Amino acid sequence: MATVEYEGNTFNVDEDGFIDSFDGWTKEWVQYVKLQEGIDELNEEHWMVINVLQDYYKKNGIAPMVRILSKLTKFKLKHIYELFPSGPGKGACKMAGLPKPTGCV
Amino acid sequence: MSKTKDSLKINDVSKDTEKLASVDPEDLMPLPGEFEEGPWGEIPAETREKYACILDDTCILPIPLPKTKAEEDDLVRKFLSGMEKLFSKENNWTFEPMLETSMEHCAKCNTCAEACHLYEASGRHDMYRPLYRSEIFRRIYKKYIKKESLSDWRNGPIDLNWRTVARLGELAYRCNICRRCAQTCPIGVDNALIAREIRKIFSQEMGIATPELHDKGSMLQLKVGSSTSMNGLVAKDNVQFIDEEFSEETGYEFSTPWDVEGADILLIHNAGEILAWPENIAAFSIIFQAAGLSYTLSSDLAAYDSINYGVFYDDVQFARTAILQAQAAKKLGVKKIILGECGHAHKALTVIADRVLPPGLQIPRESYLPTLRDIVLKDKIKLDPTRNNFPVTLHDPCNLTRLMGIIKPQRDIIKKICPQFREMHPHGPFNYCCGGGSGYAIMSRNTIPEWRAKISGRKKLEQICNAFSECRGPEEKYVAAPCSNCKGQLRDMFERYGLLEKEGLKYGGLVELVVNAMVDVKPGFISWEEE
Repeated sequence: MATVEYEGNTFNVDEDGFIDSFDGWTKEWVQYVKLQEGIDELNEEHWMVINVLQDYYKKNGIAPMVRILSKLTKFKLKHIYELFPSGPGKGACKMAGLPKPTGCV
Repeated sequence: MSKTKDSLKINDVSKDTEKLASVDPEDLMPLPGEFEEGPWGEIPAETREKYACILDDTCILPIPLPKTKAEEDDLVRKFLSGMEKLFSKENNWTFEPMLETSMEHCAKCNTCAEACHLYEASGRHDMYRPLYRSEIFRRIYKKYIKKESLSDWRNGPIDLNWRTVARLGELAYRCNICRRCAQTCPIGVDNALIAREIRKIFSQEMGIATPELHDKGSMLQLKVGSSTSMNGLVAKDNVQFIDEEFSEETGYEFSTPWDVEGADILLIHNAGEILAWPENIAAFSIIFQAAGLSYTLSSDLAAYDSINYGVFYDDVQFARTAILQAQAAKKLGVKKIILGECGHAHKALTVIADRVLPPGLQIPRESYLPTLRDIVLKDKIKLDPTRNNFPVTLHDPCNLTRLMGIIKPQRDIIKKICPQFREMHPHGPFNYCCGGGSGYAIMSRNTIPEWRAKISGRKKLEQICNAFSECRGPEEKYVAAPCSNCKGQLRDMFERYGLLEKEGLKYGGLVELVVNAMVDVKPGFISWEEE
């Protein structure tokens, strides 16, 4: 398992750079992925997406469908891409500490 | 120094070199138009330290790098032990006879090489010649398993060490298992089966498999119910959400039935569709409801996800999954199982499962295509083909066409509803793989995306460009690809080269085209707008 060091914190990540377990998520992880994503400053909308993803994940054990994420946040997919340049999966889910999607998706 | 494409010898596979060979991006088969192709990129140091990344510029199968002489010997010993089992009927009643045929009768004519899209796309690099892998395997078999006298002299010498084994394992993942080589072979040698059986030795005997197919694939499906991590409740919830959303968008009120005992048909989708392509699920539900079919989905473990990754690498995982799916059908008392748009699920449940399911579970299983053809051709739903008046081509998933011979139903459908339909060349049973076959479509570790774009998906991309040669540019076009894996591969290729913007290229299933033409549905089910 590869590790990432960021400001004194160590995170275990998989080969795609996703955190290996949701339990290992901290707010410092968000700061680390923020740099990777090239986002200057996180605003309320970013945090809304992150919170919605985490709530859904805790309840269902999986990231929500993109359409459900849109519905819950009231953000169109295009706007989610504006917030997270790598998109809902590789950007937002990664930042929220959700595992990389599996299966034929 | 790694070997160039013309100087590779069989026994180079065993040599103590950093890698066997490297394909120069300059040598790749050219594509029609401008496609920027960069370098291969680096495999991360952590991966190199841990796994035997010694074949080329990619590392797909995570084989732990042996640290001691004992570990090196162990790798060889276990491989031979697994190989021995492949050639005994008791241990390999699924595939032993076909494998034996492929061992004994190859004339080394290399007809297979010209049929292989990987070989062609690589600029004809010997490393990806189907026979390169098969010949190494064959020589090991003759010398160490069959123990033919004077084998080195009769069959050619082979230096067997841990590098031979590790590279052979990795070479088994340089094949889409599309079986175009087997189709063209005048004798019936199946190089794709050889690749698949090598994968099987690694998984069943050595416990080495790719994480996407095993830990996060077949294991998740057996434990949670789906490789997507959706349990039955979440899957049902999501599909209910799809029902509501698309009822509103299409103006066609529908609901997807679940767990209906005594329904005629159990429909099994690839559950990836629910998350990544929900319009495909909606399209099936709309068409089946409009045609008045008696059908149901099942929320039982593994029965709402038609995938069976075992088909790519492991017979035991295969059998476990197929049995769960058949049991769910039996419990509901349906007359038959129908598979949605997933190629490898067709191969798994309609073809190979014949060898696995016990008599009580041999429930009729078929493709969705004959049913869809009946609905469309017998006018069970009202269709307006002018709604599909844009250029359309059809990608043939290998498992539907080459393996099963389902060629005409999809063409009858598409010709009736798509006035600007044009074939790719070649097509039908002679099609080329999308490049995502045998599991690549769901892999993105290290430089695997480079492999998928530079080599495995290259031929399909050429075919698609050529199918639209008179309408290149941003004019809206549609590639119908009735298979989740194929769609995943096309999505990643189109994204990589910006083809939605540059070429107006949209991909999707066949059922979406049918719904797009339905008079009872609001126009615009298929849209080129990014949401």
